[in-house]
Amino acid sequence: MNNEHQLKVEHITAGYDGRTILKDIELAIPVNKISVILGANACGKSTLLKTIARLLKPSSGKITLDGKGIWTFPSKHLARVLGLLPQSPVVPEGIVVADLVSRGRFPYQGLMKGLSREDHAAVAEALEIMGITNLADRRLDELSGGQKQRVWIAMALAQDTDILLLDEPTTYLDITYQVEILDLLTDLNRKKGTTIVMVLHDINLSARYADYIFALREGCLVSEGTPSEVINEELIKEVYGMNCSVISDPVSGSPFVLPKGRHHVLDSCLA
Amino acid sequence: MSVTLILTAAVLSLCTAIMLLGNTVYSPAAVWKVLTGENIKGATFAVRTLRLPRMLSGLLAGFAFGMAGSTFQTMLRNPLASPDIIGVTAGSNAAAIFLLIMMNLSGTAVSLGAVLGGVLTSAFIYLLSRGGKFEGGRLILIGLGVQAMLNAFISYLLLRAPQHDVPAAYRWLSGSLNGVQLSDIPMLAIIIIIFSPITILLGKHLRILELGENSAVTLGVNTDRTRILLILSAVISIAFATATTGPIAFVSFLSGPISSKLVGAGTQNELPAGLVGAVLVLLADLIGQFAFSTKFPVGVITGILGAPYLIFLLIRMNKTGGAS
Amino acid sequence: MRQSEKVFITLIISLICILLCIAGSLALGSRSVSPGELIDALFLGKAGTFGQIVVRERIPRTVFSLIAGAALGISGALMQAITRNPIADPSVLGVNTGASLFVVMGIAFLNIQTAGQYIVLALLGAAITAVFVYGIGSLGAGGATPIKLALAGSATSAALSSFVSAIMLPRSNVMDNFRFWQVGSVSGANWTNIRAVLPLLIIGFLISILLAPVLNAMALGDEMASVLGVHTGIARAIGALAGVVLCGAITAVAGPIGFVGLMVPHVMRLLLGPDQRIIMPMSAVGGALILTAADIAGRILGNPGELESGVVTAFLGAPVLIIIAVKSKGSSL
Repeated sequence: MNNEHQLKVEHITAGYDGRTILKDIELAIPVNKISVILGANACGKSTLLKTIARLLKPSSGKITLDGKGIWTFPSKHLARVLGLLPQSPVVPEGIVVADLVSRGRFPYQGLMKGLSREDHAAVAEALEIMGITNLADRRLDELSGGQKQRVWIAMALAQDTDILLLDEPTTYLDITYQVEILDLLTDLNRKKGTTIVMVLHDINLSARYADYIFALREGCLVSEGTPSEVINEELIKEVYGMNCSVISDPVSGSPFVLPKGRHHVLDSCLA
Repeated sequence: MSVTLILTAAVLSLCTAIMLLGNTVYSPAAVWKVLTGENIKGATFAVRTLRLPRMLSGLLAGFAFGMAGSTFQTMLRNPLASPDIIGVTAGSNAAAIFLLIMMNLSGTAVSLGAVLGGVLTSAFIYLLSRGGKFEGGRLILIGLGVQAMLNAFISYLLLRAPQHDVPAAYRWLSGSLNGVQLSDIPMLAIIIIIFSPITILLGKHLRILELGENSAVTLGVNTDRTRILLILSAVISIAFATATTGPIAFVSFLSGPISSKLVGAGTQNELPAGLVGAVLVLLADLIGQFAFSTKFPVGVITGILGAPYLIFLLIRMNKTGGAS
Repeated sequence: MRQSEKVFITLIISLICILLCIAGSLALGSRSVSPGELIDALFLGKAGTFGQIVVRERIPRTVFSLIAGAALGISGALMQAITRNPIADPSVLGVNTGASLFVVMGIAFLNIQTAGQYIVLALLGAAITAVFVYGIGSLGAGGATPIKLALAGSATSAALSSFVSAIMLPRSNVMDNFRFWQVGSVSGANWTNIRAVLPLLIIGFLISILLAPVLNAMALGDEMASVLGVHTGIARAIGALAGVVLCGAITAVAGPIGFVGLMVPHVMRLLLGPDQRIIMPMSAVGGALILTAADIAGRILGNPGELESGVVTAFLGAPVLIIIAVKSKGSSL
């Protein structure tokens, strides 16, 4: 099942309290692909994601969904197409997994109606995809970090959007869970054709899992393309201000960044 | 030091004003004569029976409230943690009213009960708020809850009170210098003469306690003993002052921040805070007596003056992140 | 136990307790009534004996304590939901005191007399105080944290009650019958003021029920709620308005009754979890139960006089505040 929703960022300038963070960004989100936004801290990655998700109004430019500005959509309508998992959502005290996931069905609910059969089916499917059906009646505060993150993604899945934005979905997780979450998102993308856009910190995992990469530096888009097109020593130097070697990842064949600090660098590797 | 002198001068002039002013204004000479034992018709009653106890109780109670409040605030490192806000005063009052009404006690026994009530309340709040990391915000929330409970208990006691006990009980509820008698003064004076030097001497240790438990221990301060002594002398002073004038709203809370502004933050603050407390009470009493067509008791005036300051302080603390 | 079973059992137990409380509220007081007289007066409409007349007189008070408790329970649940703050409540936020002050000012300076005038002033006072307190509490880093809101609320409340005292003191002859403007009590309710507040309460109840799914989304944070299609600003404004209307209307009749809105939603969340579609109606049920029980307790404890129900609810509810404070980790304050 593929979806055709075209999401475009057209000359966005945005920021907070008069401080400009994003400067004239123009990009088109690849449909049915996994895209990753890379960049150093405070380069505007999260701000870009928030602007796309309509959490932040750009001071100029616009975001369009299928050619129409996203601010012109009724909010529930947009919420059925575009989902976002923020970096630190609030956990209501004592909530159980099934309840939390079912809250993702909000955009489909009428004013007075409870959950429909369709809603229940969507929740069950989301739990299934994330492999947490057995946790449905557990309280969220009893779960491990990796399990919690699966629950949140399941909630975003229950929202059943064709486009899913995730702000650092793997931060604070052990490496095992990071890989697991990225695998699950890849499953989702392959099975349902969901367009995924996420901010990640780990360059190497990004290079492995992304179909497409956007690299930001100080609020400007400096490069975009497939990982092997984009990730090279010059770009890493430009974006992160760090020397490195880029090799081919022996596991996946994607680019692999080896940082070069001031110590522990063999003479043969000094440029 | 100059601040202390200026405050002392302010206290003295307010004391003089209270002695001179009233329904009839007497000359300083006349007041002096009455005080030194001469009998002047009319003036003797007004000065000795009405104005002298009024002045002395305002002075002493204000000093006690101010110093004790400032001690709590410094010790708990939070300007909101004054005994009248976190429920310590309410604990004293509840104990006093309980002894008055249910046990038919009076006089010093009630005051001692009030001390015990205040100490127990402090200990209760402090123990509950400790739980692992010491947390100022939590302490105040707990204090607010404790205070609400104690006030409910007091309401219950008042309802149960026999008619003739009610006026005595109300003394513990609303701050006023009316009706204080000269015979009430010596006890309060003795308490303050004993406990304010202790507070001032321990103030040095308190400055180090402010740096935090670990630094204080490293610098050789016996933290628990210092805390217990300070809490005791603060609660004792407040209990006896309240027994004389009733709780005068916000004086404990206001004096510390005002005096630390005057002397500069981090400087030893106990004596100036006591003087500021006396200034506040005496000034508010004058305002209550003469500024309006109705005479307001001093507690109402300090309540109205103190409340906006409390809100102002909150706004500032929130902006600088002090409360969270 | 399944969630729906838990809700059902809690509801049944609460309703049984409410029925007992209704009977108690009609029968108990300075003049107690035998069960026989109670049944005669209620179901046979007799008003011959003194006991039967007493029962009739107690009906409006009982009805009012039920709806007032329900309104305060929902009001607290609404305020907790829109601020995502477990200790938000009309009394902790000072909203009740604000309503009380405006009514007292109206009595003292504007010579107001009708129930309608009381209600308008109370609502105005409640709304202004709510905005003021939330404004102070949300200053600075971290927004409206529980501790900042509670401090702003209790400071404001202390300030406002100083003004209430100052206004009432010189007019003690006029105000003696109005001690409940300082501590709330349901004893002054009658059919006229019940009829006057009822439409407001119904509107408040309806809004709270309709808003519940939106509040469920908002419980996940403003960002998440926006992503799910909630206009958080509008939802918050409507919720606040409903909460203020509910507690303001009750304060106009009964004075400031504290802590019902704090403890009832808290207990319901502990028992039944965080789903607002359940919390809202169950807070109404629990609030009705608690306030009616508090009123009865006040009559028994105060016999031959009466202890204001606001005193009893404070005694019951303040420990909940203490427990929340003790339980909460430093970071969440």
